[in-house]
Amino acid sequence: MVVPLLAIALAACASNGGASPGATGAAASATTAPGAAAGELQVYAAASLKAVLAKVTDAYETANPGTRVTVSTDSSAALETKIEQGAPADVFLSADTKNPQALVDMGLASGTVTTYAGNLLTVIVPTSNPARITTPGDLAKPGVKIIACVDGVPIQGYTVTLLENLVKTAGYPTDFAARYAANVVSREDNVSAIVAKVGLGEGDAGIVYVTDARTTATVDTVAIPPSANVPATYGGVVVRASTSRDAAGAFLAWLAGTDGQAILASFGFLPPS
Amino acid sequence: MAATAVTGPRGGVPRGRDPGRPAPGRPVQALAAVAGVLLGLPVLVLIVRAVSDGSLVTALGMGVVVDALSLSLITTSASLVLMIVLGTPLAFVLARRRFRGQWLLEAVIDLPIVLPPSVAGLALLLVFGRRGLLGPTLEVFGITLPFTTVAVVIAQTFVAAPFFIRSARTGFAMVDHDLEDAARVDGASERQLFAWITIPLASTAVTAGLVMSWARALGEFGATIMFAGNLERRTQTLPLVVYSEFQTGNLDTSVAAASILVLAAFGVLIAVRLMHWGRVLDVRGVGG
Repeated sequence: MVVPLLAIALAACASNGGASPGATGAAASATTAPGAAAGELQVYAAASLKAVLAKVTDAYETANPGTRVTVSTDSSAALETKIEQGAPADVFLSADTKNPQALVDMGLASGTVTTYAGNLLTVIVPTSNPARITTPGDLAKPGVKIIACVDGVPIQGYTVTLLENLVKTAGYPTDFAARYAANVVSREDNVSAIVAKVGLGEGDAGIVYVTDARTTATVDTVAIPPSANVPATYGGVVVRASTSRDAAGAFLAWLAGTDGQAILASFGFLPPS
Repeated sequence: MAATAVTGPRGGVPRGRDPGRPAPGRPVQALAAVAGVLLGLPVLVLIVRAVSDGSLVTALGMGVVVDALSLSLITTSASLVLMIVLGTPLAFVLARRRFRGQWLLEAVIDLPIVLPPSVAGLALLLVFGRRGLLGPTLEVFGITLPFTTVAVVIAQTFVAAPFFIRSARTGFAMVDHDLEDAARVDGASERQLFAWITIPLASTAVTAGLVMSWARALGEFGATIMFAGNLERRTQTLPLVVYSEFQTGNLDTSVAAASILVLAAFGVLIAVRLMHWGRVLDVRGVGG
């Protein structure tokens, strides 16, 4: 009984032909209608880019009439997974170079990784600072509730390097990284969630990008010694499966160029190192 | 297996057309088939993939999955206990008393069934969070709930209790008054009556409600990740592993953890069919 029904259903699906099958079919066919295809760009971007990209898309759409840029933000690791799974992205803007390089290595990117921004890390605390954190060393105090990210997310990779650097800094105990890890109460899946939970006062502290701390008034920052800070390098690629690779390449080049850099700088991003 | 679950208990309904009633035409049958495939295929593919590439077996040896599985079992058990302790009296009151505003209370109790879990998580934070309504008071007593295993239990209980309360209420309402009166005539105290007559007679409905609630608690995700966070061995239940591992690109682990959840959920639904719990499970629409 079930098998013939299955066959009928599959045949019915197949005979639909023109429309692209799958869960994303409806959305994709709605946004890439013939004639408008070249004007629509889907940008998958690291969570830390959310605020700046609102400005970037406005400026890009103004400079390129007829182009519409839609942005989808998440952790770079999650976006990389989604693109691997065939998500309809044209451009992938990561918060590191590892995730876009993974797409290049798998043959899922067109061309090489373009670095377009840099960033630094900072410690954020709720404005009320309930755990009284005044230096990064205080993150190791017993009972501090630290919000971090899951492994694989760029901010977590940078954080691990930062902890290694701090251990080598004068005044930090040798088990600083272990004490920090013992204080982690939640591992979020992207850096925006760290900012949200610390801003809400549920967490006492978190390590995020300098630019994240500027996006909200609910957190204060605690500076990290410049000698220990970890420069983040943001890289992007054009997705090979994109139907508008030329437009995607133009967008990425624009972002790495003068106009894009000016907007990124206004949000506190550094030039790519 | 799947056919049994879909067509219900065997033997009752003869197969083929129901004579004397308008038969569904070809287009209707075709649409029905499409619907069946759309609903069944994703889960089927997930299980087949988890079993065929061995990731299910591999995952059962992976720390992150085993930790999450045991945490899920511990927290859902605690949630069930909490539901029984708090939910049974409520269900009993709802079944045996009529009071002003009862319909409103019942609607409020049902709310978590239709609320998006993220809303439930946000609401729990606003009450039990450190800056929530009760958070500062709890903190005076040295209790902080967010990011603890207790928070996981609260989140699970919050979203799953309505299923138990509804079923238990129906069960209590269905108990024959004559039997209770007879026991009273024989000199049973109200407490004895409840323990030896009412509870046993309502036990099918209560059990069915517990099983459904357990399945819902096991699958709890949104409220947990918002209110309890996501930390291995403390708050990372199986559904959170599915999400976290997917987010960080470990698709195999994610699929394996997901298939454990599918098998558990499917087991519950099969049990509901086999035990003929359908008629006691109160699955009326909200406001019913």
